Amino acid sequence: MVALLGRGNQLITLDDVSKRYPNGTDALRDVDLEIDSGDFVFLVGSSGAGKSSLIRLLIREELPSSGRVWVDGQDVVRMKHSAVPKLRRRVGVVFQDFKLLPRKTVAENVGFALLVTGHSGEEAREETERALALVGLSQRRGHFPDQLSGGEKQRTAIARALVSRPKILIADEPTGNLDPVTSWEIIKLLVRVNELGTTLLMATHNAEIVNALRRRVVHLDHGMVVRDEREGQYAA
Amino acid sequence: MRRLEYVVTTAAQGFWRNPVMSLASTFTVGLMLLLFAFFLATDRGLQAAVGVLESKVELALFLEDDARVSDVLDLRARIEADPAVSRVDYVTKEQAMARLVDIAAKRPDIQIVDTSENPLQASLEVKLAHAQDAPRVTAALRQEIGKGVVSDVVDNPQVVDKLLTITRVLSFGGLAVLAMMLIVALFVIVNTIRIAVHARRDEIEIMKLVGATDWFVRWPFILEGMLVGALGAMAATAVVLVAAGPVMNAMVSFIEILPLSFGTTFVWQLVGSVFALALAVGGGGAMLSVRAHLAK
Repeated sequence: MVALLGRGNQLITLDDVSKRYPNGTDALRDVDLEIDSGDFVFLVGSSGAGKSSLIRLLIREELPSSGRVWVDGQDVVRMKHSAVPKLRRRVGVVFQDFKLLPRKTVAENVGFALLVTGHSGEEAREETERALALVGLSQRRGHFPDQLSGGEKQRTAIARALVSRPKILIADEPTGNLDPVTSWEIIKLLVRVNELGTTLLMATHNAEIVNALRRRVVHLDHGMVVRDEREGQYAA
Repeated sequence: MRRLEYVVTTAAQGFWRNPVMSLASTFTVGLMLLLFAFFLATDRGLQAAVGVLESKVELALFLEDDARVSDVLDLRARIEADPAVSRVDYVTKEQAMARLVDIAAKRPDIQIVDTSENPLQASLEVKLAHAQDAPRVTAALRQEIGKGVVSDVVDNPQVVDKLLTITRVLSFGGLAVLAMMLIVALFVIVNTIRIAVHARRDEIEIMKLVGATDWFVRWPFILEGMLVGALGAMAATAVVLVAAGPVMNAMVSFIEILPLSFGTTFVWQLVGSVFALALAVGGGGAMLSVRAHLAK
């Protein structure tokens, strides 16, 4: 059991969380996890270990079968459906497949996140420029996704996730589709984002990156947390 | 303002990105609305026709030549007491003859050769307030035959009966056809919007991911559905305005009553009803479609 739920410095708290899908698969089993504000956490484990299920719980794409989930002081399980959009504005997410809109330019893809959440055009433009400068894509703002390299696409996705200044950035296999050199560029960018104060949770298979950075590592296996180390390695 | 601009632009893009389906659903909605307009106009026309005919519904009670005036007046008072009766006129033998002479003067096929004797009977002409009461009142008055005052009761209910039947058939039949068309139009709109939703599924996924509210996701689609409805309404209104004259003439000659005028107020009511139904069907259909997608 986790004491003082959602209190203190914890930005994310999972208390005895289990997730069973209707087909009987146990994606998560009795998971207890706390992530402090400012942490950089690797979530590792083989395919089907429960990494993506855990991420889906944090942005309330799924609800746990049992247990409690707190994000930034909010009870994610008991919150009203109408409160979910506000939660998602505080949690940026990037995916392996980038999820960019092909008919929008880099700047439009990034600004889109603000326009659809009710921000003014002026505000969207300013924040987009800030986010593009942070990821080093200011010069590419007018390009379309099919004119970008894989790394640039992922940096666009990171800029979109950061444009609404979230407290947490979740990256689900962000280097899964990238070559090693580009992967390192993305990781350096994420480290910088973390150093600027954004809490980072990154699900990955990339042992080299995990071992090189020596950050906190949470290892999932068959839905259970089997290892949680402050300065961890990919394999024990 | 920016939000409104986004919703309007996205809705218009959605419509033109899939022109074949959008135009097909506009056409279907237009057809449904045309039927609705025709139904409203026909109903209005028939009601006016029934009103005109009802004011003309009349029964004639022919009186015995030797009936006492006091008995006639007594009968007249009793008939007037019936709430279905609006007026009773007493026509004397002389007045009846004068009318015949008038008619004969206007029609060359009728000639009166001898006016020294008056074979016509005095009568009571009964006007009814509502045509549907004619059978009951006639039956009641027939009871008076053979009691020394009334010799015969004549009525002519066929025209009214026919009109009432047509009104009833058109009301029920029209409503049934309209309901079917409504379902077809809804089905087409739901599918059109479903295709639009499918085409923009990635955009919707990202919108939800970055924290857009459900309403922000829904509004462009609802507006697109309403756009389909409004364009259908415009097409239907145009057809109604062009075809109204000839259709009315055909209807009037079919029912064989005096020409009817709908008036400007009714035309505006008709256009208003058509647009209201169009927006409701378009917006409602889109809402159903996008709600099903968001619930996934």
